[in-house]
Amino acid sequence: MTVDTQNQDSAAMRFEVLKGALKDGVAARVGRLAFAGRLPIDTPNFIGITSRGTVPHVTPDNVGKHLQTSGAYMALEDFIERPQRYSKRTPPIYESPKTPNNNTRLHSFTAMPQSVTTVLGARRIPAVSSPAGNTNASISVFTSTGFQDLTLKEYLSAVEALKPDVAIPLADLTNSAIAPNSKRALRMAERTDEWIVEWFASLSESATAIANASPTTATFAPILPVSYSMQWEYISRLAEDYLPTGQLSGLAVHDPDLLPDLAEHCAALLPLPRLSVSNPPTPHHILRQIALGIDAFALPFLNTISDAGLALSFTFPPPPTSPTSPSDPTPQPLAIDLSAAPHATSLLPLTPNCTCYACRAHHRAYIHHLLAAREMLGWTLLQVHNHAVMAAFFAGVRAVLGQEGGEAKFAEAVRAFGVMDPPN
Amino acid sequence: MWATARRMASNRTYTSPALTFELTARCSVTRARASILTLPHGTVDLPIFMPVATQASLKGLTPEQLETTGCRLCLNNTYHLGLKPGQEVLDAVGGAHKLQGWNRNILTDSGGFQMVSLLKLANITEEGVRFLSPHDGSPMLLTPEHSMSLQNSIGSDIMMQLDDVLVTTSPDKARMREAMERSVRWLDRCIAAHKKPDTQNLFCIIQGGLDLDMRRECCREMLARDTPGIAIGGLSGGEAKDDFCKVVSTCTEMLPDLKPRYVMGIGYPEDLVVSVALGADMFDCVWPTRTARFGNAITKHGVLNMKRETYAADFGPIEEGCGCPCCRPIEEEGAMGITRAFVHHNAAKETVAAHLLTLHNVWYQLNLMRGAREAVIEDRYPAFVKEFFGNLYPDRSSYPLWAVNALKGVGIDLLET
Repeated sequence: MTVDTQNQDSAAMRFEVLKGALKDGVAARVGRLAFAGRLPIDTPNFIGITSRGTVPHVTPDNVGKHLQTSGAYMALEDFIERPQRYSKRTPPIYESPKTPNNNTRLHSFTAMPQSVTTVLGARRIPAVSSPAGNTNASISVFTSTGFQDLTLKEYLSAVEALKPDVAIPLADLTNSAIAPNSKRALRMAERTDEWIVEWFASLSESATAIANASPTTATFAPILPVSYSMQWEYISRLAEDYLPTGQLSGLAVHDPDLLPDLAEHCAALLPLPRLSVSNPPTPHHILRQIALGIDAFALPFLNTISDAGLALSFTFPPPPTSPTSPSDPTPQPLAIDLSAAPHATSLLPLTPNCTCYACRAHHRAYIHHLLAAREMLGWTLLQVHNHAVMAAFFAGVRAVLGQEGGEAKFAEAVRAFGVMDPPN
Repeated sequence: MWATARRMASNRTYTSPALTFELTARCSVTRARASILTLPHGTVDLPIFMPVATQASLKGLTPEQLETTGCRLCLNNTYHLGLKPGQEVLDAVGGAHKLQGWNRNILTDSGGFQMVSLLKLANITEEGVRFLSPHDGSPMLLTPEHSMSLQNSIGSDIMMQLDDVLVTTSPDKARMREAMERSVRWLDRCIAAHKKPDTQNLFCIIQGGLDLDMRRECCREMLARDTPGIAIGGLSGGEAKDDFCKVVSTCTEMLPDLKPRYVMGIGYPEDLVVSVALGADMFDCVWPTRTARFGNAITKHGVLNMKRETYAADFGPIEEGCGCPCCRPIEEEGAMGITRAFVHHNAAKETVAAHLLTLHNVWYQLNLMRGAREAVIEDRYPAFVKEFFGNLYPDRSSYPLWAVNALKGVGIDLLET
């Protein structure tokens, strides 16, 4: 393969694979994902998850200054509630003004720093499963005022109005822990397939209408969490109809275990950037997905960890194990619980050598106190720290992969990392 | 009395071991003053509003964000810090500055007010305040000595004496006198128990309810003890505003020029502006930060509740012309470009909305006092006051009578055309 074929370029987005194999299949790779006007994202990497347009507990100034994340996932369902007394109102976000300093409505409404790449999906990650279910023309979403239908048309016009850097088209998902039966799985694929046709038809229409005057949105098509055989027609269509036209910019992968199948049957899609929306619960899962070829991750667990009063404490590659007992290394915790009593008087940073704002300006004793006193700043500082640990983790992954013989060294480091507390 | 204070070469400066007070300017009409207070953790421009970081945290703001509002002196509550993290931890960590990563000044109350306001079963004796522990219900005692010990552990730049606080509206004159006299005796015990007079300032608190003679008597007694600063206490407890103003005015009349004057528990913008005219320098209140958490923004045109539907699609700043990091034009350094619509969107839903309004409200209060200070220095405080009330009310007929009367007493006629 030449370098050229590994580049995925569109007006809005550029993705370069800098290192890593296409070879016969999928494997860990190093790349760079860049959107016009935003800070480039070195991959593998992660993006933060917002709630109602904001990284929980972190004000936009601190997002820009202290949160080491270059991307933010936003869910449309966080913006389109219908308050009972104003059920007819247009969701205000659609009317948010664009300014030279805020060139999209999504950025201007949420005050998200300009450097941050926005990814818009219809639903939060993870999504609450809806009792109503989806129809042929709409999905059921959960807003702050309850469940409501979101039609494909409304979602399309939202993307048109908000101009996220990346939009993930509607997918027919059950959002349930139980795997759908084959009949439902087939229906999911069929609906998603129909919706993607309408999606691209509508986007290309509007694109010509506005003649590239304003920023464009890159489409990351969903890869459904059902077997390849159930969705092969849909995936083939992506590869045959929308990849050559340049309309398809990336993939939003709900189940990274499908990537080997994708490589085998649809190699044309391999140069596309792959965003995991599968909610990996631990760094071990993340490493596994990196090895499967995931480039970027939406990571909801960061917010959960901070809310629980935990400070992540892992690094990658893991520190060398003690030479005296290399065969029996003690498992290291993935996070420390700052509500634990021993931290009450500890002037140590949350984790040694961490350079995040929380560790530079504060210590464990303060966070312990804030958690005990239920002061909101505790969660803010933990968010800053946990996002920094995750950013350092991915920087470590890229550094290992970037070395000579990176793939083997990565595999070795992953094995060494595995002896840290196993995921439960 | 205060003449015994050691003076610097200039007769506009007062110095005590841990404090320097320099009178910068005086209003030629009212009693308003502008001054510079130098404390162990840096200088503070007066008049000043001090936001309340009750539990060593200003409600979601990082110390860095608090500093961007211009805040150089904030409050911690002794009662709360005594419970969490507790005195042992404070000693181990090395005080409250170190605990919260705040290198500016801290003022602490005595802890007595919370006992009385939060604990129904508090009982005051000559020894101290008896109360039941909120942890296990066991009987506990807060004495002047214990309060000093706690505040010494906190290491606050300004400590407050333990006082016998009674609601000003209490009709029991005998009890009020007892409380006033006891507060004086407790100040003596506080002074005796204060272990770090070279690095921490102890302020007295003038009591005496709404009885102006009793206040005067208390002033004399307290001034005789020559503390580096003076507080007027027991107010903001639901008394009529007219009475409040009379008490402040009566006290400031007797106080020395070259010491800071702190009116405790005051926070509404009108109260600040009037109290400055009456000669007060320092104020604190939880209202601006508390009301922020209820979705309220303080503006020069009044308090706006961002939860109202009218703000749902209002893409203007929280307050036009405001210089806080939320409101200042997006082109400017450090500006966030927050709109009313975004605050509305997240009010009562995400903590970030509360943080943003807290930032705005604290800025508003501090900026109001910055404006007052500038006006005093340029000797146009009366015009400042008139402009302030003109912005706040639609017309003169709706000006609060108490403010009109109080200001008239110091030479400002709000209603004059």
